[in-house]
Amino acid sequence: MEYETIAILMFSTMMLMMLTGQRVFGAIGFVAVVAALVLWGPGAQQMGFSAVMKLMKWNAMLTLPMFIFMGYVMSESRLAEDLYKMFHVWFGPVPGGLAIGTILLMVLISAMNGLSVAGMAIGATVALPELVRRGYDKPMISGVIQAGSSLGILIPPSVVLVLYAMIARQPVSQLWLAGIVPGLLMAALFIAYIAIRCRINPALGPVISAEERATITLGEKIRLLRAGLLPLGIFAVMMVPFVAGWASLTESAVIGALATVAAAVVKGRFTKQVFEVATRSTLAITCMFMLIILAALSFGAVFDGLGAGRAIEAFFIDELGLERWEILILMQLSFLIMGMFLDDTAMLVIVAPLYVSLASALEFDLIWYGILYTITCQIAYLTPPFGYNLFLMRAMAPPDFTLPVIYRSVIPFVLLMLLTLVILMMFPQLALWLPQLIYGT
Amino acid sequence: QDAPIKWRMQTYAGSALGEQVVKPAVDMFNRIAAGQMEIELFYADQLVPTAELFRAMQSGTIDCVQSDDDSMASPTEVTVFGGYFPLGLRYSLDVPALFNKYGLKAIWEEEYAKVGVKHISAGAWDPCHFATKDPINSLADLQGKRVFTFPTAGRFLTRFGVVPVTLPWEDIEVAMQTGELDGIAWSGITEVYTVGWSNVTNYFLTNNISGAWIGHFFANMDRWNELPPHLQELVAVCFEQSHYYRQHWYWAGEADLRVNGPKLQLTTIPDAEWATVETAAQEFWDEIAAESETKAKVVAIIKQYNDVQVKAGRPYRYT
Amino acid sequence: MHPALIRYVRVTEAVNYRVGRFAMYLLFVMMAILLWSSVTKVFKVPALWTLEMAQFTLVAYYLLGAPYSLQLGSNVRMDLLYGRMSARRRAGWDVFTVFALMFYLAVMLWGAIDSTVYSFATGERNPSAWRPYLWPLKLVICLAFVLMLLQAVAHLIRDIAILRGIDLGGEPAGAEKVAGEVA
Ligand code: NA
Ligand code: NA
Repeated sequence: MEYETIAILMFSTMMLMMLTGQRVFGAIGFVAVVAALVLWGPGAQQMGFSAVMKLMKWNAMLTLPMFIFMGYVMSESRLAEDLYKMFHVWFGPVPGGLAIGTILLMVLISAMNGLSVAGMAIGATVALPELVRRGYDKPMISGVIQAGSSLGILIPPSVVLVLYAMIARQPVSQLWLAGIVPGLLMAALFIAYIAIRCRINPALGPVISAEERATITLGEKIRLLRAGLLPLGIFAVMMVPFVAGWASLTESAVIGALATVAAAVVKGRFTKQVFEVATRSTLAITCMFMLIILAALSFGAVFDGLGAGRAIEAFFIDELGLERWEILILMQLSFLIMGMFLDDTAMLVIVAPLYVSLASALEFDLIWYGILYTITCQIAYLTPPFGYNLFLMRAMAPPDFTLPVIYRSVIPFVLLMLLTLVILMMFPQLALWLPQLIYGT
Repeated sequence: QDAPIKWRMQTYAGSALGEQVVKPAVDMFNRIAAGQMEIELFYADQLVPTAELFRAMQSGTIDCVQSDDDSMASPTEVTVFGGYFPLGLRYSLDVPALFNKYGLKAIWEEEYAKVGVKHISAGAWDPCHFATKDPINSLADLQGKRVFTFPTAGRFLTRFGVVPVTLPWEDIEVAMQTGELDGIAWSGITEVYTVGWSNVTNYFLTNNISGAWIGHFFANMDRWNELPPHLQELVAVCFEQSHYYRQHWYWAGEADLRVNGPKLQLTTIPDAEWATVETAAQEFWDEIAAESETKAKVVAIIKQYNDVQVKAGRPYRYT
Repeated sequence: MHPALIRYVRVTEAVNYRVGRFAMYLLFVMMAILLWSSVTKVFKVPALWTLEMAQFTLVAYYLLGAPYSLQLGSNVRMDLLYGRMSARRRAGWDVFTVFALMFYLAVMLWGAIDSTVYSFATGERNPSAWRPYLWPLKLVICLAFVLMLLQAVAHLIRDIAILRGIDLGGEPAGAEKVAGEVA
């Protein structure tokens, strides 16, 4: 069979299998093992299993349960409540101030966990009820929480960047540092957007009344500022030993998880219930990730071994005859479209190896490309029909946040993310400056 | 003409190194085979993880492999001698000499035939040196260092307090940066520069724990037997050519980069202190020889060979 | 519905629940191992075994935990169409597509058994300085895929029960409600 035919067949079958609604890992794994058994030749049954051993040797995967656990301890023990109150008090007088405060809260939450789930959980439980009570615009609320929490994968620590690092064989530390400036830039764009829209139409984000503001003393305001020290502390405890090289990545992930637990214990909020939910959810989410990665690794190896990987590379480079930037833009566009339908982990493990080797062949910086990729994942979280944050929003928000509201709410934020992507493509230094500064490469 | 025969080959080397040490030979083979047969080359861990490589070749999942015996954990009596057998060899020419003149080839062929694998040929790569973050000036500096190295070399180095760490080859650079590793004892200086490890290490120890790596080309026995004789011969010739290429590529590179390499500072453990390591290696050989008859036979050959070299004097041995 | 089938579902899910709960706590074993690794590194005598042991534990964690994660319903599905279906229609689809999942798991098990037999026959050790035998790990992997297969069959029986309008007791044995808590 022609390589191109194999590539098209494997991809289209996988998409069809996923459309049936079977579990994503089952759909991907099924196509992988069937393709192997039919097309590989002798020893095909080994292809699926060897992915287990391959995945086992990916050390950085050990950070996955740690970061997930950390996020759950943080959201379940409501460590973010004081933080939110702080932003509430300080930004209350500004139109849209609570929404701006929510974005800032999400930036801090992002600095303490590696996924977007914890941000969603905290946003939905802590910020959402307050925003609703204050009469904020529903699409604004839904958009702010979904977009804000997606910063979790761009601002370090980031699980997505750990996975990318494994695939692109790039240093995690540099990737994490590279995510900081683009992450802050994106947050700034979100804030500017909220401020401008609420200035034009104050009904979208009403200010806190003067009477209510009068009840909060300056001393109280200062006291609340201290809440901001907690996330900074956890971030430092985890990142400093790692960036300085005293602890390995996996070890600092454990340190971060334990620091979060310690903070919850000190605050008297590490209850049996918190322990149970965090531990169980960590297993559930880790299994989800690992099983998808496992299936996708099998798929990728079979795809490669059958020569389909070469077909895609040849198609982009030889047959289309495009400039390197044209290819890059085409890759990003196809990533964005795939992100609408595919789980980001599957996308990463199946498509990224092809694209990373393409980007590398075209001599693009792979650290920078990792940041482009991560922003694309953020967008994928928000774009219907398949997006984690969309699912979570629907699951966590009150019933009057209907699907149309949730879908509509992401539009401006997706546009801002695309803007960040374009800015970053034009000015790669935004990502590369910090790692170069610290590692001098 | 019939559809071409296709082989999937996986090397234990990553792509940066593979471009040098195996791809030219495979490309050459494909050109000469002119459509009768095509070898598709895959790099480290691309299809199966290196630890599963032997099993994959044995069961036919992969047709052809380039690796040392040690890295792919081949279930044979000769596994420990692949890669770097501590201080067994001085120069890279020792490998073809031992295999072709001193009888190792026959032992390897027999051992691998027992497990369904064709041993095509053995070749030498570079010597094994330490490249580290912090300088090593004495054996005491090795204490507690987490070092990426080959399994057998690692077993040996634990005697000097080294903690051998086994990771996928491609992850070493990252692991050096994340603090998972303090150093690498895997190759000579050519490779340290070629694969970019010189960006994450600062020092290079000129003492080596072996003068040459022993690695091989293998094939699944059934796939090999299915080839017409002229293609078998072409496979063997192209792989021989790649051994030859590595002989001069490394030989030139090792000397040049010590002298002209811009990134690594050289350090040396004095000969008198290094003698401790040489004595320990002799003990290690005896331990290995005690494990089985075949191992004893190989150790005896290595001893005999070294004995001849020492007696021959210069240029074979200078001390 | 045949009582034997109902009994099968009960027993399978009870076993997987317990195995899963056991696996769940391996998280803390991993933490302990990695912490120990840090501690020994600080004292300049890094342990040989920690990295591999942590890797093995992670494999046991997510594979032995996998059947329980199936019970918890935490494995994402693409719900473009699926999300709009009634519970009955979903069950109707799942009755067919679960065979794809089973097929995948069966091939994984096949490969795992192959590899385990090889491991036993050759006394395979992890290629490292610590050189642990690999067969115990591979046995765990085999067991995990067997349990996942059994759980998939339990899901099949549940779906058939839904199609026939029989209530098998909603949640699998011991599985708490996790909607909204799990992505
Ligand atoms: Na983060
Ligand atoms: Na999406």
